Amino acid sequence: MNQFDRNVTDKHRYKFDAMPAKLDFIQSATGLFLALFMWGHMLFVSSILLGKDAMYSVTKFFEGEYFFGKSYPIIVSITVAIVFIIFIVHALVALRKFPNSYRQYRIYRAHMKQMRHSDTTLWFYQVFTGFVMFFLGSVHLYIMMTNPGNIGPYESADRVVSQWMAPLYLLLLLAVEFHGSIGLYRLVLKWGWFEGSNPKESRKRYKKVKYIITLFFLTLGLLSLAAYIKIGLEHKERVGERYTPTSLMPSQK
Amino acid sequence: MKIIYTDVLIIGGGLAGLRVATGVKDRGHDTIVLTLIPPKRSHSSAAQGGMQASLANCAMGEGDNEDVHFLDTIKGSDWGADQEVARMFTHCAPKAIRELAAWGVPWSRVARGDHTVIINAKKETITEKDEAHGLITARDFGGTKKWRTCYTSDGTGHSMLYAMDNKAHEKNIEIHERLEAIALIHENGRCYGAIARNLMNGELVAYVAKATTIATGGYGRIYSVSTNAIICQGIGQAIALETGVATLGNMEAIQFHPTAIVPVGILTTEGCRGDGGLLLDKDGYRFMPDYEPDKKELASRDVVSRRMTEHMRKGKGVSSRYGDHLWLDITILGRKHIEKNLREVKEICENFLGIDPAEEWIPVRPTQHYSMGGIRTTYQGESQTLKGLYSCGEAACWDMHGFNRLGGNSVSETVVAGMLVAEYISDFCDKAESSVNVQSATIEKFLKREKEKIEALLTKKNGEDAYVLRRAMEKIMMEKVGIFRNGDDLQEAVTELEELYIRSKNIEVFRSKSRAANPALVNAYRTQKMLKVALTVAYGALLRTESRGAHSREDYPERDDANWLKRTITAWPDENQTLPTVSYEDIPISNMELPPGFRGYGKDLTIHHPETKVRQQMVDLIKEKLEKEGASRHEVQNALMPFLKKLPKKYQKFNERLGDIHE
Amino acid sequence: MSELEKPRILKIHVLRFDPHNPNDFPHMETFEVEEADGMTLYIVLGEIREHLDNSLKFDFVCRAGICGSCAMLVNGRPTLACRTLTKKLDEDITLAPLPLFELIGDLSINSGAWMQGLNKRLETWIHDKEQELNINKLEERMEPELADEIYELDRCIECGCCVAGCGTIQMKPDFVGAVGLNKIARYHLDPRDKRTDEEYYELIGDENGVFGCMTLLGCEDVCPKSLPLQSKIAYLRRMMLRTGLKG
Ligand SMILES: Cc1cc2nc3c(=O)[nH]c(=O)nc-3n(C[C@H](O)[C@H](O)[C@H](O)COP(=O)(O)OP(=O)(O)OC[C@H]3O[C@@H](n4cnc5c(N)ncnc54)[C@H](O)[C@@H]3O)c2cc1C
Ligand code: HEM
Ligand code: HEM
Ligand code: SF4
Ligand code: F3S
Ligand code: FES
Repeated sequence: MNQFDRNVTDKHRYKFDAMPAKLDFIQSATGLFLALFMWGHMLFVSSILLGKDAMYSVTKFFEGEYFFGKSYPIIVSITVAIVFIIFIVHALVALRKFPNSYRQYRIYRAHMKQMRHSDTTLWFYQVFTGFVMFFLGSVHLYIMMTNPGNIGPYESADRVVSQWMAPLYLLLLLAVEFHGSIGLYRLVLKWGWFEGSNPKESRKRYKKVKYIITLFFLTLGLLSLAAYIKIGLEHKERVGERYTPTSLMPSQK
Repeated sequence: MKIIYTDVLIIGGGLAGLRVATGVKDRGHDTIVLTLIPPKRSHSSAAQGGMQASLANCAMGEGDNEDVHFLDTIKGSDWGADQEVARMFTHCAPKAIRELAAWGVPWSRVARGDHTVIINAKKETITEKDEAHGLITARDFGGTKKWRTCYTSDGTGHSMLYAMDNKAHEKNIEIHERLEAIALIHENGRCYGAIARNLMNGELVAYVAKATTIATGGYGRIYSVSTNAIICQGIGQAIALETGVATLGNMEAIQFHPTAIVPVGILTTEGCRGDGGLLLDKDGYRFMPDYEPDKKELASRDVVSRRMTEHMRKGKGVSSRYGDHLWLDITILGRKHIEKNLREVKEICENFLGIDPAEEWIPVRPTQHYSMGGIRTTYQGESQTLKGLYSCGEAACWDMHGFNRLGGNSVSETVVAGMLVAEYISDFCDKAESSVNVQSATIEKFLKREKEKIEALLTKKNGEDAYVLRRAMEKIMMEKVGIFRNGDDLQEAVTELEELYIRSKNIEVFRSKSRAANPALVNAYRTQKMLKVALTVAYGALLRTESRGAHSREDYPERDDANWLKRTITAWPDENQTLPTVSYEDIPISNMELPPGFRGYGKDLTIHHPETKVRQQMVDLIKEKLEKEGASRHEVQNALMPFLKKLPKKYQKFNERLGDIHE
Repeated sequence: MSELEKPRILKIHVLRFDPHNPNDFPHMETFEVEEADGMTLYIVLGEIREHLDNSLKFDFVCRAGICGSCAMLVNGRPTLACRTLTKKLDEDITLAPLPLFELIGDLSINSGAWMQGLNKRLETWIHDKEQELNINKLEERMEPELADEIYELDRCIECGCCVAGCGTIQMKPDFVGAVGLNKIARYHLDPRDKRTDEEYYELIGDENGVFGCMTLLGCEDVCPKSLPLQSKIAYLRRMMLRTGLKG
């Protein structure tokens, strides 16, 4: 008679299942973590804009030099591995939400075109960018995990230019910035955080904030990427040379 | 041939129909509800203002009880009501509302402390008692002595209907949506069910039942402008009439609501005035106090509607391309109040007029609103002439509204009548005499007849256009059988309607020939039926040479108890007659608890019945004697007009009120 | 519109299809109607049926935005046709039936049956485990604000706009949709309903329930009654998460 009748009878066979709740929680928690992580990440990567030395110090900081007096790239490897796992978990859990057939995909597209409703459209971008990151993000993370010592003004710039990572980063950057800020916006609404007394007004505000965040990090990322490209081009002849901070340069000694 | 058997067939899924369904189901009878539309979309959902029940919880309702409610109802009816029925009703209204409260209606509640309200255009402070806090509150409505109209913001009908429909789901009541009853199956003065047409695929189905209940609501749509839903077309009354056996009562008693918006006729609730809104004319002048110094805007509906029309006739209306109108001013209530308690009104103003009622006045005029008449039944809801046929709600005339119903008494009636009639039907079904012994040949005969009628409509050549007939009918009703009536217009109306009716036998469905979902076909057969209903209204109005309640004759301005203390009974015994047969049923004064008197509006023009005086003296005597003896109000009432015994046992107990506990 | 101005000629494009006619297929048909003052789509469609094509199927009941019968896609967006003023639209108006619901013909859909199914599935009635109710006694008390809050959610008219406006349910028709979630929020709020959080979890604690909602908020933006769907779904999500993690 109608599609619900099945559920009516199903109910009697039902056993309490906490999984759906847990999965939703995991999806949000990992999403939140990744989004916040990416803020930090972008700030870290953009340190290049303050100069090579700045980026160098930050790198060393993460390698633990300030704590142990010596750098341990393994720290980076471990960090990346953890992020990688969270990334994969997030992706796996979020996979539930993907249209699970071409038919569903078509339905959604048609619905979206018809409705011309921004949050409906944004969701599609979120899923699409998530899908893209599945591949691009994995490559990046894998490289970072396996080359933890190879991070630095020259090393990174070489990777960007000479190892042809620039196009990948450009796409990944676009994907992650859109995905992350849409995700955060959705997260806030989904759980009803900071709703205030007038949720409709709050939502309008959050949407504005969302656009600002996207714009901010996108600009920051593009500038950084440009900086890496510039350095990479200048450094093209000397690929593989590691960066020596100004303070350690012989001429200044 | 599809035949479906059940114990109780209920035609109509509004408040009345659903309440009967849950009632009979509780008593263990099988039931099926037929409805044109999903029950939750029934017109009951449009009731905004509220439901009358004498709970006496709020400060302005203190001292209220069944007696006061009864008094208001009878006065409102202009003594046309059946006083026993009105008693049964006022006795059960508090029970019905409490039941609904338990079923999920979130009635608006009393909040302790001081509140500012607008009474008679002035701010006043009302203090609600501590002990009333959290009980169901009430608002003021036209024609009532106390604040008695309980409400849920301004979505009373909606919240009632939703609670009721959900209850029906809980009870697993079978509801067949989009099935339209188009004829009753009957033989030898006994009703056996109905033939219904599936509006989705056109299939005809015979429903055979021990008892058949018509709860199809009113017939406002025979008028061109009405506050009613567009499905309120009187099909229920028509199929009863078409049996030739069942009768209709007081069909000419049509109520006009003072404040429907212009031009579309959508209602703004009486709550607007109840809460303090004012009626203004083209000069922004508040004219009601001139006509009704006492109750002003809150006089009974029929009175306000007539006063407005009078005032417009004096040239005081605001002219517009849709004709004259007046203003309803609720700006004085303040935005906060409007956005909370009159939100639907606000939405309607925004969506249909493009105005903000907190800032601007609302253009209104009196518009057809309610059908007091309907299928004539006994106090048990059973047709007086066709056994096994029941009716309740707006569709019926059992008769608690007489010639004018009070605002808020109608949704209240639907649930009370539903409660009671469900019990009477169940009693009937419990008896052996209710068993259905109808031959399948009879059922087949009815099915075949309906099928042929439909085929004829679809295959006829060079016939009439149903839309043309229908629009003509609506116009006649509007112009000649309206708020003020007179003999000449009515005579014309009857002649013209009769002509239309004759033409309607020759309706042809043009172009759209589908036997499945086919709006043109539906319009065709409904138009034929509506014309019959329109004729009963116009003809009844023509013959009634007096003014009573909503029936107001300019050529006979007096209420004439001497000659007209009667109910109009209409029947259509012969297929071939072109006018209904009209007869009358006396309303006996001898057992009235409240003998006819002056309603208290305008000048007293009543021509009294000689018996009135006699009865009044008797009533006074009994009252005086018993009161001296210290009898309770119930005892006094019982001595004047006993009614409790007529109620089903489970509803005979008295209602508890806050006052009873705290005194 | 002033008296002098020439009224617009509206071009109404209607998606037509009669599923009972084996030779029919979905197609657009255009009708031209002269605009009048205060014209709504109810009036437009009525005129088309009365003067241009009497077979056109659509549903209106209250024609006042109260009953929820007349929801359809107006220029792609679900809304109540009866209270849509034409003056707020372009000359070209496209009308289509709400998707997902069973089509009766043209613009008429069987949303009622769908809602009936939903109500049964979610058991949208007061579950009172108490003994017999005594209706002769004073009613149970309720805080006035709470009653208002419940009514706020009770205002849903089951029009189906939120269903048609939700991408999730389009893809996954077993999803209860905002209308269903709102109903659960309504009963959860109601002290007369004695269901426990666990019982509610059984109804909506899964991918077809609250965890299936992807916060697209089409529902919130098209609901003609402006119900607080966004914040009520969020509320349920928090509550159901708590229940799920506890359970
Ligand atoms: C705008 C408006 C506001 C109102 N406000 C108030 C108010 O504030 N207070 C008050 O007390 N009263 C009010 N009333 C009056 C009150 O709402 C109605 O009188 C009452 O709801 C009627 O209920 P009912 O169950 O008899 O019929 P309805 O609710 O009209 O239900 C009729 C049912 O019958 C079905 N039906 C009809 N014909 C057929 C058929 N041939 N076959 C099968 N099914 C059929 C329909 O589908 C429907 O389900 C208002 C009325 C209007 C028009
Ligand atoms: C393999 C890569 C990824 C995939 C496939 C993916 C996929 C998804 C999908 C489909 C959603 C939507 C879920 C929903 O609508 O309920 C989502 C949500 C989200 N994603 Fe990702 N994502 C990926 C990586 C990331 C990254 C790197 C970030 C960090 C910036 C991120 C942050 C978020 C956030 C914050 C949400 C919202 C969480 C929620 O709604 O519960 N995702 N992701
Ligand atoms: C702990 C994990 C991570 C580490 C250590 C890391 C490290 C780096 C480093 C060092 C760079 C500079 C370029 C380079 O050296 O190649 C970079 C750039 C980049 N990373 Fe990551 N990254 C991590 C996780 C991620 C994730 C999860 C994403 C998104 C899915 C991501 C997206 C990017 C992008 C888009 C750039 C280019 C940014 C730009 O140039 O503007 N990174 N990352
Ligand atoms: S929630 Fe809103 S949009 Fe959805 S059915 Fe109810 S009233 Fe319609
Ligand atoms: S549109 Fe659908 S996905 Fe959720 S927020 Fe509304 S139900
Ligand atoms: S017809 Fe009732 S909401 Fe439009």
